[in-house]
Amino acid sequence: MPHLEIADLSASYEKGVDVLSGIDLQVERGEILSLIGPSGSGKSTLLRVIVGLLPPDSGRMVVDGTPVNFHDKRSLRDLRGRCAIVFQQYNLFQNMNVMRNVTIAPTKIKKRAAASVRAEAEALLEKVGLGDKHDAYPDELSGGQQQRVAIARALALKPEILLLDEVTSALDPELVNEVLDAVRVLAGEGMTMVVVSHEMGFVREVSTRVAMMDEGRIVETGTPEEIFDRPSAGRTRDFVAKILRG
Amino acid sequence: MDYTFQFGVIAKHLPYLIGGAWLSLLLAFLAFWAGAVIGLLGAMGKTFGGRVLYRVIDVYVVFFTNTPALVQIYVIFYGLPDLGIVLSPFNSVLLGLTLNCGAYLTEIQRAGFQSVRREELEAAETLGMSLWQTVRYVIAPHIAKTLYAPLSNFYIWIVLGSSMAGIFAVEELTGRAINVSSSTFRTIEVFTYTAGIYVVLTVVASALLALIGRHAFRVKARIF
Repeated sequence: MPHLEIADLSASYEKGVDVLSGIDLQVERGEILSLIGPSGSGKSTLLRVIVGLLPPDSGRMVVDGTPVNFHDKRSLRDLRGRCAIVFQQYNLFQNMNVMRNVTIAPTKIKKRAAASVRAEAEALLEKVGLGDKHDAYPDELSGGQQQRVAIARALALKPEILLLDEVTSALDPELVNEVLDAVRVLAGEGMTMVVVSHEMGFVREVSTRVAMMDEGRIVETGTPEEIFDRPSAGRTRDFVAKILRG
Repeated sequence: MDYTFQFGVIAKHLPYLIGGAWLSLLLAFLAFWAGAVIGLLGAMGKTFGGRVLYRVIDVYVVFFTNTPALVQIYVIFYGLPDLGIVLSPFNSVLLGLTLNCGAYLTEIQRAGFQSVRREELEAAETLGMSLWQTVRYVIAPHIAKTLYAPLSNFYIWIVLGSSMAGIFAVEELTGRAINVSSSTFRTIEVFTYTAGIYVVLTVVASALLALIGRHAFRVKARIF
């Protein structure tokens, strides 16, 4: 049984203009699936649908054998207990310091004991290299630091499926590796991930499978080697050639 | 000008006036916080409620922000008894000021709701926060921080507005000043002292608010 299954899914921001159409996708447990493709191809939108921010117009999504009803509060709550997303723009709470950003959801929403959550948060912040920034506020941190807080915040929820939306684009080059290491550890722990990235080196290294998207559709899916070395779809060939040349 | 100022004679009434000042502060404090709660609910209703709720709240806001607070209190104190609802002068003034505060604070806080970054609301949603949790942990602190200045100013306005209670024989600062004035006929002296006490009240309130803002909400408020 796939961990995440999407079938014939379409979504739009305004009626009649499909941003996603006929998406079929299966992600196995522990798999790291990367979505690549040009800007505006629907990669981020697909992540927004998966995490329940944008209800699809049609189609089906099944998480761990349970169909998701996007218009039912309980179903959405259950979905968000399983999926966490890290956004391109970090989306940290500006009124909370780093520690509170990381601990707010586990303590206030999942009602877990503050002491154990705090201990986990300290370990997570240490893992992303921000062990000394517990009391800093987001506006006192660089973009790269904020993004690492956002990753720690998502991990604090202990998600089964982690969605990463362009998370490395704001990181300093030396920090990309730290994040890569964290991602590898998570992969080893059996976490399922769906990653949107323009960093092809990153994609190639961490992905178990890559899906090429264009104009709201999935054009081709394959292993990183298949997609980057011997793409079968013409659109993928163009895109990969352009990326590798650039 | 043959008037001889006699501030010394009035000085012995100062403790009495200051006693009234406490009631002024209490009135302002209760009206402000009750109004803030009404305003928060009003802002939530206008932002997240449907069209009908929006209209209903709008009628309330428009009515109370476009009529004088004094007239509203007159209606409550002299008008409601005709409908069988008799409130004490203090309660009438408190109710009037609260409803007035609630209307203004609905609009002020609604502006706060609209200025919350969409990114933070999305993060709250994906972290599994309910609407109420989002308001409590994300929106309300944001309002407190960004709308700190208008909210503080409004609080000062309420402290001063509580003086209307004097008209209804509530023994707060202005009410007591009227009492002293009519028994001593030293109007200028009495009201000079009274004005001085109001200045102290508002300056102290501003300083306290600035301190709270600085430490609780990281607002870079100047104390003086």
